[in-house]
Amino acid sequence: MYRSFLSWRYLFARRTNLIGMVGILVAVAALILILSIMTGFLDASRDAVRGSLADIIIEPNQGVEAGSEVPRDPYELLHAVRSDERVQAATSQLIWAGLITQRGKKLDHILASQGSTANNPILVQLVGIDTAGPLRVTWPALQAAVRTVGGILPDLHVQDEFDTTRLLAALTGEASGPTLAPVENPLFPFAPPSRRPRRGRPKASVLVGEQLFDIFNMRRGDILQIGTIVQDPETGEWPLNNREFVVAGTFRSGQNEADMGRIYLDRGELSDFLGHFRDYTQVLVAARDYEHDAASLTADLRRDLAERGLISEGPRGPYEVRTWEEFRVNLLGAIENERVLMAIMLSLVLVVAGFTIFAILSMMVSEKRRDIGILLALGATPRGIRQMFLFIAFWDALLGSLAGALLGTWGALRIDPLERALSRFFGVEIFNRQVYLFDHIPSIVQPLAVALIVLGAFACALLFAAIPAWRASKLDPLAALRYE
Amino acid sequence: MNTDPTRRDSPAPVVLRAHGIRRAFALGKARSLEILHGIDIALHRGERVALMGASGAGKSTLLHILGLLDRPDEGEIEIDGRDPWACSVAERASIRNQRLGFVFQFYHLLPELTAIENVLLPSMIARGAVDWRRSRGELRARAEHALAEFGLADRMRHKPPQLSGGERQRVAIARALFTDPELLLADEPTGNLDKATGETVLELLLAEQEKRGLSMLLVTHDSRLAAHCERVLTIEDGVIQADSAHPIPL
Repeated sequence: MYRSFLSWRYLFARRTNLIGMVGILVAVAALILILSIMTGFLDASRDAVRGSLADIIIEPNQGVEAGSEVPRDPYELLHAVRSDERVQAATSQLIWAGLITQRGKKLDHILASQGSTANNPILVQLVGIDTAGPLRVTWPALQAAVRTVGGILPDLHVQDEFDTTRLLAALTGEASGPTLAPVENPLFPFAPPSRRPRRGRPKASVLVGEQLFDIFNMRRGDILQIGTIVQDPETGEWPLNNREFVVAGTFRSGQNEADMGRIYLDRGELSDFLGHFRDYTQVLVAARDYEHDAASLTADLRRDLAERGLISEGPRGPYEVRTWEEFRVNLLGAIENERVLMAIMLSLVLVVAGFTIFAILSMMVSEKRRDIGILLALGATPRGIRQMFLFIAFWDALLGSLAGALLGTWGALRIDPLERALSRFFGVEIFNRQVYLFDHIPSIVQPLAVALIVLGAFACALLFAAIPAWRASKLDPLAALRYE
Repeated sequence: MNTDPTRRDSPAPVVLRAHGIRRAFALGKARSLEILHGIDIALHRGERVALMGASGAGKSTLLHILGLLDRPDEGEIEIDGRDPWACSVAERASIRNQRLGFVFQFYHLLPELTAIENVLLPSMIARGAVDWRRSRGELRARAEHALAEFGLADRMRHKPPQLSGGERQRVAIARALFTDPELLLADEPTGNLDKATGETVLELLLAEQEKRGLSMLLVTHDSRLAAHCERVLTIEDGVIQADSAHPIPL
């Protein structure tokens, strides 16, 4: 009984012990706060790494290896994928590389001119997508009309780009804030803008990444000349192919790579632009329950599609059907490494707190030598003395880590108003929201992490207290009694 | 005359017996200084014994050995028919807690505890948490009663630094007696007190010893204190030179 009683009494009788407790408190609170913010940031980074990727991406090997060709159009593949109950939606994309120039500059003139680098063309990613805006709008109206005459039209499960990626959010500003030149109707992104050249042949519309639009000083309705190269099947040459498009608006995904170098256009238009060299390059799949079904759905698609001859069989097959995480495996690995490294480095804070406890208890053992002698004379055992000093570390860890856990969790949950208050107080912007494209500081408190940190604090405190506690138990009672 | 001082014709049973106790302390690596040269002693129930001797004669060393705070280099100790040094550390600690009571010259109270908590300390050491919770009320009442009997009713919640020397020693005596030990070992109990206070404390100590019928070994160099004891052992250069069954005449 005396162990807990005396350790509790010593804890508060000697203020130096409170330093150890405060050390644990600060360490635990700082660990929880920083780890929560890091987890929030990494989670946001994970979103950024995912970008516009769908849950599952299918990239059939279209003629890369002789004799391994799959169908040129995506419909059979789409039909096969959509027939799986675990699939929410599937759509096709055609991705190709293109070149654009500054407004008013002719691409072939620039390429023909030698020596000048002033008007270098820019390489962009052309993404041909399917959008089913008309169906989305007209089908419900048609259903209502048929209902009035007693008929029933089935629900139409429209599956297009908007069901598989976050493009619609990027167009409406839901992704990361309103964009510079929003399209007039996001459901009809390639509808000609009201301000457009009336003369000449009608031109297809494109959506330009916001940063690209800004850097090139574009305006909605501008003519944008895009060039690309496609191999001539007869001559085998790679001639430059030019075409003019109308800028229908911008999108803002919040991801630098896309906003700086991507142009969306209708998949049919792009295919036509490429001379129908390719109809699609990818099929994007949205799963109903990705977290639950990702692995099984991917494996089943690999097998089924290979059996149907829609993707390659053999060793290349698995690379043709990948989850978005497999697609970004290196970047995700780097993020996870960062999280683990950060946790390890931050754990050193606990070690520092442990050293504080070690120093305070060592000092206390020296100061309390006579008390130890008295306790031994009164019938305490060396083991009991050891436990008494370990109890002091236990109270330090218990009170410090509980208070630290509460403070750290509160801080992590209230980090935004806290940061704003501190910024106002110091007159310095601590967190620049423009840099990270977040309108708040992301913070995620993970109960398991909090529990592990508290456990770590206990382990650290007891570990560092073990040496002074052991020293106390080894004291000679006579020498201790004679100590002045 | 009985030649073996550990044997005596008294009918009172022996509480503690020591035989052939030798103790030396190292002086550097090669040399050592022997303080006790084969001491034989037996303390009987209810016996009040004074251990006298000059400074450095070895009386405190002997007291510490008899109190199981120090281990002899040679010789045997027997308490209740058992050799405590053949017992486990925990059993030896239990003997110190239950059978022996210590009163030190410098009181040796824990400064962080109040007077009553200091008195309760041996009982806390003897009990686990559950047992302590069960008997706490009764023990506390006993401790309050003991302190009140010692004239410390209004000093129970005071900590040692707030008490006078005499009050501290009375608390120390109350603590030593709280577990009802069989043997009280008092090392110069009045050595740090003025004459008047010392006499009061001594009276209290002797009265309690008498009342409880416990054995007491009183270490002192003061013959006036020894005069209160029925038996006086005189130690000189680590050897008991005289063992009197009667008080030394003043």
